[in-house]
Amino acid sequence: MELQTMVTMLAEGFVKSVAIFALTLIGSLPLGLLVTFGRMSKFKPLQWIVKLYISIMRGTPLMLQLMVVFFGPYYLFRIQVGSNYRFIAVIIGFVLNYAAYFAEIYRGGIESMSVGQYEAAEIMGYSKLHTFVRIILPQVIKRILPSITNEMITLVKDTSLAFAISYAEMFTLAQKIASSQSTLMPFVIAGVFYFVFNYVVAFIMERVEKKMSYYR
Amino acid sequence: MSNILTMNNIQKSFGELEVIKDISVSIKQGDVLSIIGPSGGGKSTLLRCAAMLETINGGSILYGDKKAAWTEDNGKVVYAKGKDMKEIKNYFGLVFQNFNLFPHFSVLKNITDAPLRVQKRNKDEVMAEAEVLLDKMGLKEKADSYPYQLSGGQQQRVAIARALALKPQILFFDEPTSALDPELTAEVLRVIRQLAEENMTMAIVTHEMNFARLVSDHLIFIDGGVIVEQGSPDQVLGNPKMERTRAFLNKLEQ
Repeated sequence: MELQTMVTMLAEGFVKSVAIFALTLIGSLPLGLLVTFGRMSKFKPLQWIVKLYISIMRGTPLMLQLMVVFFGPYYLFRIQVGSNYRFIAVIIGFVLNYAAYFAEIYRGGIESMSVGQYEAAEIMGYSKLHTFVRIILPQVIKRILPSITNEMITLVKDTSLAFAISYAEMFTLAQKIASSQSTLMPFVIAGVFYFVFNYVVAFIMERVEKKMSYYR
Repeated sequence: MSNILTMNNIQKSFGELEVIKDISVSIKQGDVLSIIGPSGGGKSTLLRCAAMLETINGGSILYGDKKAAWTEDNGKVVYAKGKDMKEIKNYFGLVFQNFNLFPHFSVLKNITDAPLRVQKRNKDEVMAEAEVLLDKMGLKEKADSYPYQLSGGQQQRVAIARALALKPQILFFDEPTSALDPELTAEVLRVIRQLAEENMTMAIVTHEMNFARLVSDHLIFIDGGVIVEQGSPDQVLGNPKMERTRAFLNKLEQ
């Protein structure tokens, strides 16, 4: 197989890897915030449920979670899934997993805020919603940005775990080509793709951090 | 003149610890009340109870003739709710010991955000008033700065402007200069004194005895959760009747 064909095939897989990355972020960043609210809720039963969810998501392999999401509907409920369910399962698995991690990052950020900020807002008559959205959250985002960047970089590499349920993203394709052509080349090319992607992610996040450095 | 704030038989405990045993105090319009006493004696807690940052365990709080909190016959304390509470919260402002400015807002936005967003007042009017306030605080050229770029004294003056922008009828100060160097303390005290001359109603928890003497109409000495002594500042500071007050003042002089 020519190098160019190989690169073209892997590039198609790469688009799918990017799609997993983007959709996971779009889903898990807001979901993580909701999970944090549950985790920090004064309503104990909700707190326990969310704690259990977080500990399962963090305590078991993402690869295993993907298998459960993909095969679960049939093995557990005998539901026949459609042909596009493979991709949906990947996204569900990734979003659920990453939301748990983001939730704990949010919680760390929220709990690091001084009581004084809440009290000042309360004295000035801000509603609870206003206090959170206008006063607390912007400061939290600035504080947790480095941790979020870390997770995003891990996520770029984790997209390769979709291999576990044979979703044809870049790594799955690289593995297929490598075994059929008996060459290491696809892995090298895929590695370059991952590295460049992460380089771009780190670069963008650094810019975002800089943009938020107008205050301390 | 009518009372702006009336607190009757206030009790406040943190768990087993009874911080305020039974304190009654009232402030008339245009008056300046100074609260002095050893740390842990309950003076900051009293102020925080007045500002609704702490929930009282007994007694009553009135703003004007509006009931903010009261104790029912069964001993349960009830607070005003909803619209009533919102109205009551408009009565007072609070300046904190450590400023608590919003670091992500510019000086101007710190001052104008709540009048615009919470009180929903006219933007031109709020901006014009903010300018006057900044000028008064000697911070005209700092409008676009961020809190971290200011000295402690400047931050505290922004905090005072921020509180005044909401047009409170009474302003509380919780040890406003305790986090400041002596030379920065002076500039903050000058601003508070100016407010006193303009007949702003204020209650100030402070360790600055000379300042308290100069600025206040009434002074109370709190220790052990009760008012040990009260009266005119000259009387309490210059000629204290109670042994505990004398001991406290002597300690400060050493």
